[in-house]
Amino acid sequence: MSSAAITVDGLAKSFGASQAIRDLSFEVRENEFVTLVGPSGCGKSTCLRIVAGLVAPTSGRVEVRGRPVTGPLRHVGMVFQSPVLLPWRNALGNVLFTAEMAGESPRDHQPRALELIRLAKLDGFERSYPHELSGGMQQRVAICRALLLGPSLLLMDEPFGALDIMTREQMGFELQRIWSATRTTVLFVTHSITEAVLLSDTIVVMTARPGTARAVIKVDLPRPRDAGTLRDPRFVELAAAVRDNIEAQWVE
Amino acid sequence: MTPPGPLRSAAETAAGVVALVLLWQFGAPAAGIPDYVLPLPSVIAARFWETLPVQAQHIGVTAARTTLGLLMALVGGVLLALAVIYVRPLKAILVPILAAFNSIPKIAIAPLFVIWFGLGAEPKVLLAFLLALFPIFVNSVTGLGEIEPDMLDLARLSGGNEWRIFTKVRLRNAVPYLTDALKVAFPLALVGTIVGEFIGGNVGVGYLILSGQFNLDTPLVFACLLSITLFTTLAVGAVALLERVFLRWRPSRRRR
Repeated sequence: MSSAAITVDGLAKSFGASQAIRDLSFEVRENEFVTLVGPSGCGKSTCLRIVAGLVAPTSGRVEVRGRPVTGPLRHVGMVFQSPVLLPWRNALGNVLFTAEMAGESPRDHQPRALELIRLAKLDGFERSYPHELSGGMQQRVAICRALLLGPSLLLMDEPFGALDIMTREQMGFELQRIWSATRTTVLFVTHSITEAVLLSDTIVVMTARPGTARAVIKVDLPRPRDAGTLRDPRFVELAAAVRDNIEAQWVE
Repeated sequence: MTPPGPLRSAAETAAGVVALVLLWQFGAPAAGIPDYVLPLPSVIAARFWETLPVQAQHIGVTAARTTLGLLMALVGGVLLALAVIYVRPLKAILVPILAAFNSIPKIAIAPLFVIWFGLGAEPKVLLAFLLALFPIFVNSVTGLGEIEPDMLDLARLSGGNEWRIFTKVRLRNAVPYLTDALKVAFPLALVGTIVGEFIGGNVGVGYLILSGQFNLDTPLVFACLLSITLFTTLAVGAVALLERVFLRWRPSRRRR
């Protein structure tokens, strides 16, 4: 068994009088793809931000590789719902942004940036500016940017939330492909059950606000997963299990 | 129909100007307007040509003062904006003070500056600086300060420190705001200089206009206006050049 990359134990977060997260505990192992899934407002994005050190928890323990998180983590890959690209930089320049922020020469990282761009099927668009790219392409640039320095941890906050269904599915397959080539530890947040089952090794199903872990589901589908996986009986079964856990809480 | 190209629209503008000048040249005498009220374009052109060395000397001084005042306002405005952005409590103090100060017509302080700083270049440059400062400050606060929170988080998670975030994100984000601010601040700075020259000293295009007025030399006054126009055209061109260099990525620019 590999060791824990992220440990969240008894986490709680309140914004004023409103409690967003209560008693949330889960673990992410090295090289594991873990997804937090739950209804809107269940605190899953807040949890991701707490793990990143961008938001301080009200109480509870958050550790990354045994170290308590006290401030923004360094050298962590982050992808948000919107691509947040710099409009004055072309795709390649935006991918290299991570290297420049880390204080490294962008020139040294250019070969790797071009490799990632190729992997994300963006070749030919290296010199295009963000406004010349589609939403899905912009988000792929954001993913390449997050992966440039080979981060040991990749945090993704509903990265495909702003995309249409067709693009979204496609992006899921492509993320899976890119991830298979890097095998970084990933903490992923989504409210799409399909996306969660398709991408994850482990799914943490959260309850509605204040959010806590309701179930932890291991996804034992073989990789690589593709469009065929969506019709696999095991896939349907797992998706139903996630759905049951989300819906059960409305009945209670 | 294809839209008119830049060459064609320039030609149309030129044709319009020529038509207006012709109307002025032949219309004014027909309407019986005396020469000391509205001199003919040909007279103005002749006076401009005659006084060319004098014009060049005086507009040169005015241009130098305006540019100096503008550069000081650019540095000062950006520094003040940085103070407001990085030292949060300062915003509540500085912004209302600057806004209140901005509501005073700075031209009204001009005589005070003569008392304080005399008849040299200082009061002119200071007036230009003061008039240009506020728009540059306001735009700098927006351009340097209003960065998407996600962008800042991303930069920090990538290992970015404040200096790198400042040079690679804030400063570049501010460029279009600063060029826009310069377009507003430049004419204001020029007003400051010329008013300063009106109230004291014996050099600068403001002084030359006044001496034209004293001698009822209306063609000279108009010749000075022509000099000023040439200078402003040059300055506007310089800002446009800056935009062309720094803002190539802008969608509206790339389509041209």
